Amino acid sequence: MTITKWIKFATVSGAALILAACGGSNQSEEAEAQLGGNDFDQTQNVHVISREDGSGTRGAFTEITGILAKDGDKETDLTYSGATIQNNTNAVMTSVAQDIAAIGYISMDSLNDSVKAVSIDDVSPSIETIQQKEYPISRPFNLAYKGELSEAAEDFWNYIMSKEGQQIIAEEGLVQVVQQAPAYQASEGLSGTISVVGSTSVTPVMEKLAEAYQTLQPNVQIDITSNGSSAGMTAAMDGTAEIGMSSRELTEEETSQLESEAIAIDGIAVIVHKDNPVQSLTTEQVKQIFTGELDTWEGLAP
Amino acid sequence: MGSKWIKIAVYLSAGITFAALLFMVMFIFIKGIPYLSLDLFSWEYTTENQSLLPSLLTTLIVVGLTLLIAAPIGIFTSFYLVEYASKTSKFVSAIRMAVDTLAAVPSIVYGLFGMIFYVTFLGFQYSVAAGVLTSVIMILPIIIRSTEEALFSVSDTLREASYGLGAGKLRTIFRVVLPAAMPSILSGLILASGRVIGETAALMYTLGTSTHLPSGLFSSGRTLALHMYVLASEGLYVDKAYATGAVLIILVIVINSVATLLSQTTIKETVK
Amino acid sequence: MQYNDKLNLKKLDQDLITVNKKKKKVQKIGMENWMKGIFFMCAVFSISSIVFMIYFIFSSGIPFITEYGVARFLTGTTWAPSNTPGSYGILPMMIGSILVTGGATLIGMPIGILTAVFMAAYCPPELYKILKAAVNLMAAIPSILYGFFALQFIVPFMREVAGGTGMNMMTAMILLGLMILPTIISLSEAALRAVPRSYYEGSLALGTTHEKTVLSVMVPAAKSGIISSVILGIGRAIGETMAVVLIAGNQPIIPDSLFSGVRTLTTNIVLEMAYAQGEHKEALIATAAVLFLFILMINSLFLYVKKKRG
Repeated sequence: MTITKWIKFATVSGAALILAACGGSNQSEEAEAQLGGNDFDQTQNVHVISREDGSGTRGAFTEITGILAKDGDKETDLTYSGATIQNNTNAVMTSVAQDIAAIGYISMDSLNDSVKAVSIDDVSPSIETIQQKEYPISRPFNLAYKGELSEAAEDFWNYIMSKEGQQIIAEEGLVQVVQQAPAYQASEGLSGTISVVGSTSVTPVMEKLAEAYQTLQPNVQIDITSNGSSAGMTAAMDGTAEIGMSSRELTEEETSQLESEAIAIDGIAVIVHKDNPVQSLTTEQVKQIFTGELDTWEGLAP
Repeated sequence: MGSKWIKIAVYLSAGITFAALLFMVMFIFIKGIPYLSLDLFSWEYTTENQSLLPSLLTTLIVVGLTLLIAAPIGIFTSFYLVEYASKTSKFVSAIRMAVDTLAAVPSIVYGLFGMIFYVTFLGFQYSVAAGVLTSVIMILPIIIRSTEEALFSVSDTLREASYGLGAGKLRTIFRVVLPAAMPSILSGLILASGRVIGETAALMYTLGTSTHLPSGLFSSGRTLALHMYVLASEGLYVDKAYATGAVLIILVIVINSVATLLSQTTIKETVK
Repeated sequence: MQYNDKLNLKKLDQDLITVNKKKKKVQKIGMENWMKGIFFMCAVFSISSIVFMIYFIFSSGIPFITEYGVARFLTGTTWAPSNTPGSYGILPMMIGSILVTGGATLIGMPIGILTAVFMAAYCPPELYKILKAAVNLMAAIPSILYGFFALQFIVPFMREVAGGTGMNMMTAMILLGLMILPTIISLSEAALRAVPRSYYEGSLALGTTHEKTVLSVMVPAAKSGIISSVILGIGRAIGETMAVVLIAGNQPIIPDSLFSGVRTLTTNIVLEMAYAQGEHKEALIATAAVLFLFILMINSLFLYVKKKRG
């Protein structure tokens, strides 16, 4: 009796598994067929993918492209209400990588070849074009602190703004803020722990900076916590962290309490699926797509 | 409804459940195991080598400390509520209601509470202490509720028999009720530790996400789930995130088997 | 003298024994009270931390709601924190939460209960050990892993079936239906196992089949436990965030079909908390307060149903 039950159970679960597996493979075949090449269906709807309200990336993106309409004191974010909202870079990238009709935007230093960045006003996003201010969509990475920095933290700050620090920033695909930075001069006998808290977008480059710095100052430990720009600014204001990281401009309340400085400029890339034939968009088209005025891909591809 | 159909429905449901689980575990293993290497188990996290050993150890520390504090408090609370407090008391049922409700409050709210209270107000900063105390409050409802259910399921005749033999209340609780309820209490504890292991939102704002192994109660660290979340969220180290996910699942399997073994030996001993 | 001494000694011995006995008794009673005190203290600690949490949620949420206007907050359909002045209407999220949770329960409840029936009444013991471990594993898999999985499998599947981005209400319902299974299964199974063996045997003796006995005798007998497993499952569904946030689309608009995107109360909080400042942050905590009331209402409803039936 038990053996029959065993067999029955195995059959049923096996069948369910096979069904699920088949579902998976069929669908990927279809997807392949659909991605197969030049027959991109221009009449299909654009799937707009945006970031959440309050995110640094969204703030800069909507402001620069004019999606955030200003009228005196009033500001209205016109982002298409049907847009899918994702709250991190990876989720936007995965969503776009899987969906040929999708469009999104991400921080340029996270860009990889699973998606395609389109040119804006015929300028492709790169360090050079951002530096020359030809590529229009970018935002600063800010660091902030309250009151006085400890000796170690101040030295670390100097390191970031030095030639060596800015070099690392450039290697990370970001744009340096200081062109002819002075070389770093190591202070002697520093030790202690520096706690750095804030933006998830700034964290990767901050990790690189901290590592390089610790090889120069082995007695200084840098703890990086990555939990969002606002958490970082709050932590800096109430003393939980020595240095806060922000990928957006500081609010009035924050600037009144904190000293801040931009350490790098990050481009924001507008991304589409790899097989999407669209190469270039104008700022106006980007605005129309993200406000829902343009709802199909018609006329956007060459 | 014929017996046959009932049987089919039962088998089908079980099939769906376990097939889905199997499918998911396979998915993570296939995505993650190819990227597992010895390098991922080195002592230091660097941007070149996203070692998960510090987070693995931090996970064990955080889960261990949390259970150490929450398990006795939670279990004793249920003792009080079930064995001592009056059964019909409105107060007790109000508490039960609050406990049930809190079990469903999203963990980010606990995280915020922890950030405002422990991290800022008590000045713990982002630290193991703040993370553990936040997790304690988060899992207390789960422990209380499951222990209560376990105590309820012990029949009153057992208790009465124990009193009849002259045992006091305390002796009855520890020698009669607790052993009988132990397996269910343990599975409640497993459920609770699972919640801590899988937690991200609450710990992100209390434990912080430092990549170092915490040097003390008041230093920051990250658990495996947090590690995975941070690795994945900027899209830079997604493969390593899956590898971490695979390790996380293996860890959960190990913890669960140890707990099951423990509960079986306790049952055997009490039967003796 | 000597004799007296001996007598005294004997008496002393006896005295000592009685004193010791008394002491033991005193110790015992002391221990009882002591432990009772400890239990009470633990209960006080737990309860006060729970009360503290609730106080925290409401004291930080309510000032915002009264300032912004209760009706505007609860029945507003525009959520636009980026605007100046911002709009904070959470009606779409409230509807989203109800629909998604309802759908997830419809999917998860039958599968979960029937799986519990399987575990309790059909499963051979050798297999049971493995499956029990599997259910525990399912409960402990972090929700982001569920989210990754859904993003890679359910979302593309939905895109094929329903078009659009594949991130929609149906996707969220299926995922949550899956995620609440372990809660429902393990608690329902415990409830089913608590049904006295005699019920089962009695019913079989009356000539009923195994299947019918299980469904019409054991399940009703375990009703209370099963209902509370479902309530806890609903709680998990309504409180779940990290996974749902990845696959629900998160549009703050009232969904008009099963296949349009949806944002729930919980995802609204998690989605924007990392970057929220000032008023926006208060609005998110106020969302948590509303969520809390919501869950409280669901729980009371179930308690009422349970009482009425019982």
